[in-house]
Amino acid sequence: MKRIHITALLIGMAAVAPLAAQPKPAPTRSWKQAKTPDGQPDIQGTWVNFESTPFERAASAPARPRATADPSDRPFADRAPKVAARASLVVEPSTGRVPLTPWAEQQRDYALAHIQDSWEYNTPWERCITRGIPAAIFPAAYNNGYQILQTPGQVVIVYEMIHETRIIPIDGRPHLPAVLRQWNGDARGHWEGNTLVVETTNFNGKSMIATNAASLRIRSVPQTENARITERFTRADENTIDYEVTIDDPKAASAPWKVAMPLVRDDGYKIYEYMCHEANQDYMEITLGGGRLQEKNAAAGRK
Amino acid sequence: MRFCLTAILIVFAAGAPAQSRYSGPRTADGKPDINGIWQSLNTANWDLLPHAAAQGPVLALGAAGAQPPGLGVVEGDEIPYLPAAAAQKKQNGEHWLTKDPEVKCFLPGVPRATYMPYPFQIVQTPGTVVIAYQFASATRLIPIKARTEDSPVDSWMGESYGRWDGDTLVVDVKGFNDATWLSRAGDFHSDALHVVERYTPLSREVIQYEATIEDPKTFARAWKISMPLYRHLEKNAQLLEFKCVELVEELMYGPLRKQTSK
Repeated sequence: MKRIHITALLIGMAAVAPLAAQPKPAPTRSWKQAKTPDGQPDIQGTWVNFESTPFERAASAPARPRATADPSDRPFADRAPKVAARASLVVEPSTGRVPLTPWAEQQRDYALAHIQDSWEYNTPWERCITRGIPAAIFPAAYNNGYQILQTPGQVVIVYEMIHETRIIPIDGRPHLPAVLRQWNGDARGHWEGNTLVVETTNFNGKSMIATNAASLRIRSVPQTENARITERFTRADENTIDYEVTIDDPKAASAPWKVAMPLVRDDGYKIYEYMCHEANQDYMEITLGGGRLQEKNAAAGRK
Repeated sequence: MRFCLTAILIVFAAGAPAQSRYSGPRTADGKPDINGIWQSLNTANWDLLPHAAAQGPVLALGAAGAQPPGLGVVEGDEIPYLPAAAAQKKQNGEHWLTKDPEVKCFLPGVPRATYMPYPFQIVQTPGTVVIAYQFASATRLIPIKARTEDSPVDSWMGESYGRWDGDTLVVDVKGFNDATWLSRAGDFHSDALHVVERYTPLSREVIQYEATIEDPKTFARAWKISMPLYRHLEKNAQLLEFKCVELVEELMYGPLRKQTSK
């Protein structure tokens, strides 16, 4: 219900807003990484990642990219940056598949089967709490806008979806005490040459590693307290950041796995307020209330 | 000594906004550096007007849930409600526990987000200022440029545009919906709300904050609130999460939960 409204609204907006679909000038060899006044490689701007690459490779798919994307994959084709579809967003292991543990699959299956029992079995995105880290940057069907700002000592990412501001200190301070745990953990960054490396720990163990349908089989897989997330942001040219993230969470996956994708600069993209929890009563009444109604009907049928 | 200086500066700020006595650090582009974590220190979230201590609405919380006293933050100690709006405000105040959007962790709106008892972080760049509030992860993106069109859609936090008036950051906010409140006393507004905020840094540690509130559907004239904002000086200061959705799910959806699920 909520999703449909938001989607309709966005289609309306997309029609009104100036589209940034014009081809961008091709990056030239003379492109040089600019620096902020305090000497950081400058990665500021508004970035998007509307794209159609599947999250994982299908179990039986050949290990090579599709030649062209199926246009039906792209309901928002007018906003989609020109990013070539790859075989999968998951690039490690080389199978393109997350090595989920049996425990993780069982937790996921239980949560999905009990969505109508309680909000706790819904993803934190459906609960309007967060899309999580790193999932907040995984492509979804809409609202894939991110604004990056840099000031001395920190890099800041504003995520359009759920309206979250992530402050990443790069001043060498230690992580929060281990007892202090958060939905989005505790991020610390540093520069390795022109690459921003962000390590996030201190997760509260209540979140999920991916939250929306576009992440396919990985949606609703738990993210444990021991998850260690390492993200790398490297500006490849004026209009592209190469983003990759390594997810190390031994209870949920038997080996670390990596997602890679470009973020595309879009100066014409405007981030709007993503209202969610304020209008989520309908979703909960349909989902949970629907479950209670089924129980009532089933009980009546047994009499 | 420092206190006296602050008082003098407040007088200066009120009398001559263009003449800044700010002598704290500046950003690379020459503006006062207001990057950091800030918080107000008053009871305006309870009541914008002068108020004595009072029993809170949840008996079990005793002194811990009582309303603390406060001198108020409204210039002239009066909010100029239109007659029908005054009646609505009174009714809101009598039922705040069930009607105040703060209780449900809804986005707090502007200017209320400024004087809720939670910190917020200002991220200041030449082209954009972000204010990240701890409460509900509310976020405001403030482009430093003139507004060129009306907001295409109403929102909880409004749509903000900023400019520098000397050393004062001036933020013009409209495009609000009518769902947020201004205090637990039931102060409210319509979707015609227009807020102009002025952030005037007095020193590295203090910003004098002022908001002019205009809403012809609710108030007979524009009115103004003001208060100092204080910088968090802790060496390890960090904006922690207050993702309060999780804290209100039982309150809002408890009856919908499967009885054996917990």
